[in-house]
Amino acid sequence: MRITGKLAGNVVLATALFAFHARAVADEPKPKPENTVSVHLAEPVAPQKFEHAPKFWITETVDRSGNPQPMLVLKSRGGIFLDRQPTVIVRETLEESLKSGNLLAADSNSADLVIRVYLFHFGLAEGSGLDFFGKVEFSAIVKNPKTGETAEVKASGTSIAKGAARKKNIQKNVQEDLEESLKDAARNFLRGQQLKEAVALLWKGGDTPPGAEAKP
Amino acid sequence: MRIRITMAMLVVLGFAGVSAAKDTKAVFKTAEAKHFTGAEGVELTPAFYDYFYAELRSELTKSKLVSEVIGEGEAVDDADAEKSVVITGTVTEYKKGSAVKSALIGFGAGLRSLKMDADVVRRSDKQNLSVFHVHVKVDPRWNEKTMAKFAAQQISKDMKKEFGEKK
Repeated sequence: MRITGKLAGNVVLATALFAFHARAVADEPKPKPENTVSVHLAEPVAPQKFEHAPKFWITETVDRSGNPQPMLVLKSRGGIFLDRQPTVIVRETLEESLKSGNLLAADSNSADLVIRVYLFHFGLAEGSGLDFFGKVEFSAIVKNPKTGETAEVKASGTSIAKGAARKKNIQKNVQEDLEESLKDAARNFLRGQQLKEAVALLWKGGDTPPGAEAKP
Repeated sequence: MRIRITMAMLVVLGFAGVSAAKDTKAVFKTAEAKHFTGAEGVELTPAFYDYFYAELRSELTKSKLVSEVIGEGEAVDDADAEKSVVITGTVTEYKKGSAVKSALIGFGAGLRSLKMDADVVRRSDKQNLSVFHVHVKVDPRWNEKTMAKFAAQQISKDMKKEFGEKK
């Protein structure tokens, strides 16, 4: 009798947990055309001028955010999704900007310096609750493929957009916020002192020091 | 008659707004806001400093005191360095406050409080142009980032008062 009672209790508990989980899954926002935003810069960011302008090539963009749903920007109000992976968006933005400054190589073989981007944050961060706090943070490893030397360049971009009540306005503000923070991060990278120093260290205008061969 | 007077007042106020907006001229070419640091014993999360940095940049852009608000570590042309500033600062004191004290006593007791010093330095010769002392108090139940918002607004307002009037 006692065993039957325990069993019944377990069944009730399992049913309750299952129902709770099913409800939680049902509440998960799903990407639809009406809740998906396309983040794209209207104009590429003009990079800084280098003394001996090298040609760059972005070899890889790696997501290091640890976010299991990188395309989900906002979970509440039915969710807001990105149309592409953040790594793709960042890569496209940097490539377009380098191209606008005539600093993008045709392929990896013809590049003077190659860049590997590690993306740490893309999307909204915790703000005051009254507005949207957009943040893009990445680190780039700039490498001279001939000498094998590397230098790290960190970049971050932030933006604050005003909050909204209507879903349509929320979507619009979030999109603008993400675009602004992406632009800010790209500008921080391409016009930063760190990139200037990295280029000065790694690239001497084609004068590769004798005996400095690529490391295995 | 009343409607006409109201409309006339609105027109006058509208023109006053336009002229006031035109008066705000950029004093500096660029301004670089750095991440503020916390003094010893200040227990604030790194997210707070990140948010404050973003808010300060946003407020500086809104103030129209500078032509361009640049990110941390961005290069500036030598020609523009003389008319460019760097804003650094330290959070000197942070008190969490007490919701119980605030509810039971009131009259400003138990409020969350933040004190910070902001230095405005000319980029070219590193000359200190001004130091602003900011003290913000908010309800202890409010998010700490609300304080960051108010502090950034205060710094921007003080800068506008200091440099805007000098011009």
